[in-house]
Amino acid sequence: MKIAVCLNHVPDTASKISVGQDNQSIDTSGVTFVVNPYDEFAVEEALKTKEKVGGDTVVISLGNDNNKESIKKALAMGVDNAVLLKTNEIYDSLSVAKILANEIKTQNAEIVFFGKQSVDYDNGAVGQMCAELLGYNSVSVVVGLEINGNKVRAEREIEGGREIVETELPVVITTQKGLNEPRYASLKGIMAAKKKIIDEKIPENCSNYTETISMKKPPAKQPGRIIGTDATAVPELIRLLKEEVKVI
Amino acid sequence: MIIKSNPDEIQNYLTDASNYSGKCEAVYIPESEQEIVEIVSRCNADKTKITVAGNGTGLTGGRVPEGGIVLSTEKLNKILEINSNDKYAVVQPSVLLNEFQEEVESRNLFYPPDPTERNCYIGGTVATNASGARTFKYGPTRSYVLGLKIVLPDGRKLRIERGQFIADGSHAIIPTEDGSIISFELPNYEMPATKNAAGYYCKEKMDMIDLFIGSEGTLGIITEIKLKLIDLPKNILSCIIFFNSQEDALDFVEEAVRLSRYTDDSIISARGLELFDKFTLKFLRSDYSNIPENAEAAVWFEQEIDGNEDELISEWMELISKHNGMEEDSWIANDRKEMDKFKDFRHAIALKVNDYMSQRGLKKVGTDVAVPFESFKGFYFDTIKLVCEAGLNYVVYGHAGDSHIHLNMLPDNAEQYNKAIETYRQICSNAVKLKGTVSAEHGIGKLKREYFKLMYNDDVIKKMALIKLAFDTNRILNIGNIFDEKYLT
Ligand SMILES: Cc1cc2nc3c(=O)[nH]c(=O)nc-3n(C[C@H](O)[C@H](O)[C@H](O)COP(=O)(O)OP(=O)(O)OC[C@H]3O[C@@H](n4cnc5c(N)ncnc54)[C@H](O)[C@@H]3O)c2cc1C
Repeated sequence: MKIAVCLNHVPDTASKISVGQDNQSIDTSGVTFVVNPYDEFAVEEALKTKEKVGGDTVVISLGNDNNKESIKKALAMGVDNAVLLKTNEIYDSLSVAKILANEIKTQNAEIVFFGKQSVDYDNGAVGQMCAELLGYNSVSVVVGLEINGNKVRAEREIEGGREIVETELPVVITTQKGLNEPRYASLKGIMAAKKKIIDEKIPENCSNYTETISMKKPPAKQPGRIIGTDATAVPELIRLLKEEVKVI
Repeated sequence: MIIKSNPDEIQNYLTDASNYSGKCEAVYIPESEQEIVEIVSRCNADKTKITVAGNGTGLTGGRVPEGGIVLSTEKLNKILEINSNDKYAVVQPSVLLNEFQEEVESRNLFYPPDPTERNCYIGGTVATNASGARTFKYGPTRSYVLGLKIVLPDGRKLRIERGQFIADGSHAIIPTEDGSIISFELPNYEMPATKNAAGYYCKEKMDMIDLFIGSEGTLGIITEIKLKLIDLPKNILSCIIFFNSQEDALDFVEEAVRLSRYTDDSIISARGLELFDKFTLKFLRSDYSNIPENAEAAVWFEQEIDGNEDELISEWMELISKHNGMEEDSWIANDRKEMDKFKDFRHAIALKVNDYMSQRGLKKVGTDVAVPFESFKGFYFDTIKLVCEAGLNYVVYGHAGDSHIHLNMLPDNAEQYNKAIETYRQICSNAVKLKGTVSAEHGIGKLKREYFKLMYNDDVIKKMALIKLAFDTNRILNIGNIFDEKYLT
């Protein structure tokens, strides 16, 4: 059984993001990049699945040399093999899905894990698109998973509750916080990862389906207003909440 | 200047993280050094007591007033200069330690002192000579203070740089800004050779700046601080190793300390070594489900990597396996984010224990003792035995690399609480017998004065009080910290 996990290398959500000079992309200088947080659950689930059903795990990442940092982390956690689909292009969701689907096909992977969304553009679409392109079953935003033989039983979060979905392999699962607690690499894992080779491939050229016309930051928040510092300010506060903000 | 006296508004200033609470007439919040001078001069004239408030994370009631007024430095919160070329920074006292460190690190510089609680003011850390995990390699706050501006209890100002005023034998002479001179004799007492935050730093031919660091605000109000910075180490190995037995964990720490500090040809050189016992791990398991079931202890260590990483990891792996560490289940931080998570792991325990106790309306009794390295292991197990014999629940964690542990006794009721206090005293007394300290990092404040007396006899404490009187003739500033007011006669 081949288990694939797709991994994105994204700006840390704690970094300050600014728009680049071209007004079409973000300025990456001074921004720290990390493994997409939801992808960490995907890596962990891939490893747990391997521990249970056996097989081989492969991490696939699309991006430039910097992505190797995140790939290495997955390898140190215990993933067996790695593919970097090397490009400097910035692709939209469908293009990314096409490129990844191609590689998943090459790898012949029957279980594929994605994070439920990648926190750079937050579209939350690539996993499902990939499943569609591959003709695989797909369950997204998964918080519980059991795989027995060919059978897949997944729990997903829905508004106000949980939904249980039963399906079959091959399957694409997108992972949500709560599914597991990603392990830390061990010293042994780090040493082993150093010996693993990252297979670098040039992805087939692919054109975007959407065009970014321009990017801009949301308008700055208006500063707060201090109406007073003691009880005498309460009537005015109530008046403003009623008449101006209209929340009471 | 803001003055608050409404009970609701001053409530927060009447306590600190120890939960000890007091009373005061008003809280003064000056916005400049000049305003501090004005408040102090006025209080000195009418002999009103002043208690200086930092951010209130102290654990010994140091900033808790017992009457008089509180002077909060909170508005003096600017970083005045960060000099990357000469590697120093000048700050006002109420710059938050964590914000300062972030700012400094964004310029590839490093300020090592890292008390577990980093939401404290730099002024507070200087007043208590705070230390943390990295003190193992880098020393406490003291090692980084290059200069201080101080307003004395009578309103005079003092500016002191490291290396500027050295005691002539045991004779101390400190000129103030107005040209007047403060002089006194330094008492001759032996300070523990361990990490220590108990009492004044005094020795012959000392640099007089050291007297103020760790003096818990009893000698003056710190209004500006010049700090030494170093280059930011880039690559750091940060690991948490679990063990099946406490003995193994302590042996591991002991050998890691020996290799780091006392063995020249070893590449192992930890910058911090922290211990967690099995009860601590039990507390943490609810948030960190990955903690292995059978772990009886854990050690978190960090080392800066400046040579061959593979060789270094291999050396550590050898040491871990020699002491039966659970290698497969060890955690290693892959990036900055994970390093911070390990730090949170360490921070979380203090908070979890405090929450657990306060939810039950109970109070923990926590030690801050340190002993010399040679005595640490024996002391550790003797201490646990004492606590078990007293029938008390407990957790132990802390800076084991510096032979410094926080053993928190968790009494269930008033009777047990009294038992814990009795045991606490015994632990302190044992530490002192081994030439250790009753307070390695939190200071004495108002809550540990009784135990401070285990370290020094009345005669020595009276001599320390004489130093205070040389600065504070009217006995107004931070009265009750370190020693009881009765010594100030
Ligand atoms: C969870 C937790 C973990 C902790 N871990 C550590 C640790 O690892 N290491 C450690 O050393 N401490 C630790 N502490 C204790 C505490 O954080 C430190 O003592 C800190 O230095 C206090 O800073 P503060 O600004 O909160 O000072 P406060 O509590 O407000 O005051 C502390 C003392 O300093 C005096 N003071 C404050 N500012 C000035 C000034 N400008 N001039 C003169 N005197 C002043 C006060 O009068 C008081 O006596 C911990 C506390 C908590 C709650």
